[in-house]
Amino acid sequence: MIKMTKKDLDATKQKYAEADRNWIKVGFSTCGIAAGAKEVYDTLVEESRKHSADVEIKKCGCVGMCSAEPLVEVHVKNMPTVFYGKVDKEVATKIMEKHVCGKMLVNDKIYDLKLN
Amino acid sequence: MGKTVFIKDTAITGKDRTRDFYGVFLGTLREKGLENEVQLVRVADIGIYGQGMTVRVLPENFLYTNVQENDIPAIVQDSVVGGRPVEGKASAQPSKQLRIVLRNCGVIDPESIEDYIARDGYQALAKVLTEYTPEKVAQEIKNSGLRGRGGAGFPTGLKWDITRKAQGDQKYIICNGDEGDPGAYMDRSVLEGDPHSVIEGMTIGAYAIGASKGYFYIRAEYPLAIERIEKAMRQCHERGILGNGILGSSFNFDLEIRLGAGAFVCGEETALIASIEGKRGYPSPRPPFPSIKGLWGRPTCINNVETLANIPVIVMKGGAWFAGIGTETSKGTKVFAVTGKVKNSGLVEVPMGTAVEDVVYGICGGAMAGKNVKAIQTGGPSGGVIPKEFFQTKVDYESLQKMGSIMGSGGMIVMDEDDCMVDIAKFYLGFCVDESCGKCAPCRIGGTQMLKLLVKVTDGEGTQKDLDQLEQISFAMQKASLCGLGQTAPNPVLSTLHYYRAEYDAHVDKKKCPACKCAKLVRFMIMSEKCVKCGMCFKACPVGAISGNRESGYLIDQTKCIRCGQCFEVCKPRAISRG
Amino acid sequence: MDKEILEREVREIADSWKDKEGNLIMVLHQIQNRYGYVPREVSLVLSEILDVPLARIYEVITFYHFFRLTPPGKHTISVCMGTACYLKGGAELLGELEHLLCVKPGETTKDGQFHLEMVRCLGCCGLAPVLKIGEKVYGGVKKKDIGDIIAHYSEEAEAQAIA
Repeated sequence: MIKMTKKDLDATKQKYAEADRNWIKVGFSTCGIAAGAKEVYDTLVEESRKHSADVEIKKCGCVGMCSAEPLVEVHVKNMPTVFYGKVDKEVATKIMEKHVCGKMLVNDKIYDLKLN
Repeated sequence: MGKTVFIKDTAITGKDRTRDFYGVFLGTLREKGLENEVQLVRVADIGIYGQGMTVRVLPENFLYTNVQENDIPAIVQDSVVGGRPVEGKASAQPSKQLRIVLRNCGVIDPESIEDYIARDGYQALAKVLTEYTPEKVAQEIKNSGLRGRGGAGFPTGLKWDITRKAQGDQKYIICNGDEGDPGAYMDRSVLEGDPHSVIEGMTIGAYAIGASKGYFYIRAEYPLAIERIEKAMRQCHERGILGNGILGSSFNFDLEIRLGAGAFVCGEETALIASIEGKRGYPSPRPPFPSIKGLWGRPTCINNVETLANIPVIVMKGGAWFAGIGTETSKGTKVFAVTGKVKNSGLVEVPMGTAVEDVVYGICGGAMAGKNVKAIQTGGPSGGVIPKEFFQTKVDYESLQKMGSIMGSGGMIVMDEDDCMVDIAKFYLGFCVDESCGKCAPCRIGGTQMLKLLVKVTDGEGTQKDLDQLEQISFAMQKASLCGLGQTAPNPVLSTLHYYRAEYDAHVDKKKCPACKCAKLVRFMIMSEKCVKCGMCFKACPVGAISGNRESGYLIDQTKCIRCGQCFEVCKPRAISRG
Repeated sequence: MDKEILEREVREIADSWKDKEGNLIMVLHQIQNRYGYVPREVSLVLSEILDVPLARIYEVITFYHFFRLTPPGKHTISVCMGTACYLKGGAELLGELEHLLCVKPGETTKDGQFHLEMVRCLGCCGLAPVLKIGEKVYGGVKKKDIGDIIAHYSEEAEAQAIA
């Protein structure tokens, strides 16, 4: 057991601050899981390995767009950060191939975007 | 960042023309030789509804609605190439959500404490432990104007102050995660998506009131929320964020989880306390309030999940900042679970004082395809309805109350023209009757009698006298019930009676259900002039109530018909009438 | 059940909670997790170990919807009757299941294969109407899909899966 102090908090904050790198977040709450988030996550991980993609894949909570679950948020440098909704295996494969590797957004599946 | 153009046909009726439009837009880009520099994307949702073809140009985020084909060259020339809005054409951005409670939901990995710390997690706790006296913490929360998000809206800072001043060798803080309102799930979402923010809020509260022990009371129906809170607590223990000498200070605080077991009444403070004590969830009369005499007779502060998730942000940004958001009496934001007959159901966090219409139409896209919104219901089984005509109502504690509804925990159910208001009232009342603990007579007997009357009405056997009686029993229950459950159980009935008396009258006087929902009042008939004698209804009927053949046509035997509506659904030429 | 083994098992569960105040509900949760319901013999043993009258244990079990006194079926089908699911046809799904399985909510089919129940809200209102079989959640269910869904869980289907 470590006894953290304010100083340790600050150090941890610095260390884990979101660096500007590529990432994918998969909504992993009750609703997302019920809609099939696990298969989507597994597909993304497998595909990223296949393409040796430079991307971190994370499980997150629910952003609230329940009717569009499973939801996948994708951030690729120099591209808009977007939410793909109703993602299945096929779309997950496309996200990895087209969006992450090909730097092209996938048609007909974007439900929202994050503005900075 | 490269140029990106989003397009989407947002028209509610008619064929989705996004693809045709995409072709035209792409053609224009090709003419200019831009097709490789600009990404043109068809999106599934563009955040605008019912405003025709909509185009969004990124990264500047220019928005154009009701775009016609001949507008495209100007958009390409000015916005895509020039990086400026087309004069007089750009639309205002739609009202946006403001995320305080949901700030981390979907952003961080809820199972990683480092992710939370990286987003300023536990900084607020460190701040109060080193810089604030407990009194000052309570004062800061008082300044913020934060009120309880569980429904009643009691000022949180005041509650902390009362518990702080109460006499007792041991005090407790409880997080009420017994989210029982069917159709509200924001607490689950926060517990699952950002468990540490609730733990931090609770620990700050514990410091403010002087509690060394806290309890999470969570519904057993939320296994994932329980798992994530357990994990988060473990991580805190390992790092000295819970336990003795928190973050190097002299403050000690520990947490335990207690599970609910499927009793709605346990969301009521005194019943919740009984349940944590391992007893039946029977409420007890107040006063004494839990702040004075609560869990095991000791001063106890009970806060809702959403309330607690607000605390760390208020501490970091200051009470005054929080008080700057919202209305005169309702500060900050509120998370709503917008569900039911709505295009985009989900969680929405908006500043207090946002109009209902902005939530239902602006953010959630209004009704499902081809339907019209009729009303919303807020506050669950304790709340009431707000008809479409009053959608300019602002969401804050007082405005909703004035409309005969309540804020409640934040369920917002959208209903359309297919929903019968009497049926809705019956649904909620049935819920309360099931969940009544049976301790006090007004709730136990009153509820049952009211339900019987409502069943009579929906079965077509009701009279005007029954409606009067419904009102009378309602008032008696409101006045005489022991706890909030019984006092508020008649609200859905009173509110629907108030706004939709005509629907009740139709059930009683004409024996008709205008929404065609109440099975016993619905009749299906084949209109021979429209019938093409295809026999689909004959095949679909599960009870053989339809007789005839392809030559003579078909007939429904009303004595056999069970009003399941299957014939109505399969009839292609719409030759079956319902009413 | 062998009384000795039972006693040992129940003691194991109760011991971890013994020193905590107000432990009864938490102990019952763990017992139901273990046995699927709260058998009478277990309550008897528990009454001795915790030194709590049997009546008080039953008072708690029968007050809370979550606890069961009879063994559940092999598969529990929970139909969500939260408001969103109700509006979108939850009651029709329940009716169809009652019809297909020939049981009422709260009952188990004669072959012990299915237990049908209503639940308040599963918290997936965005997917309404929802039903849950075991741990698997089905969203946006239509009445006509139900036959196919439960066919997967029938005895024959399971026998085939094993073969």
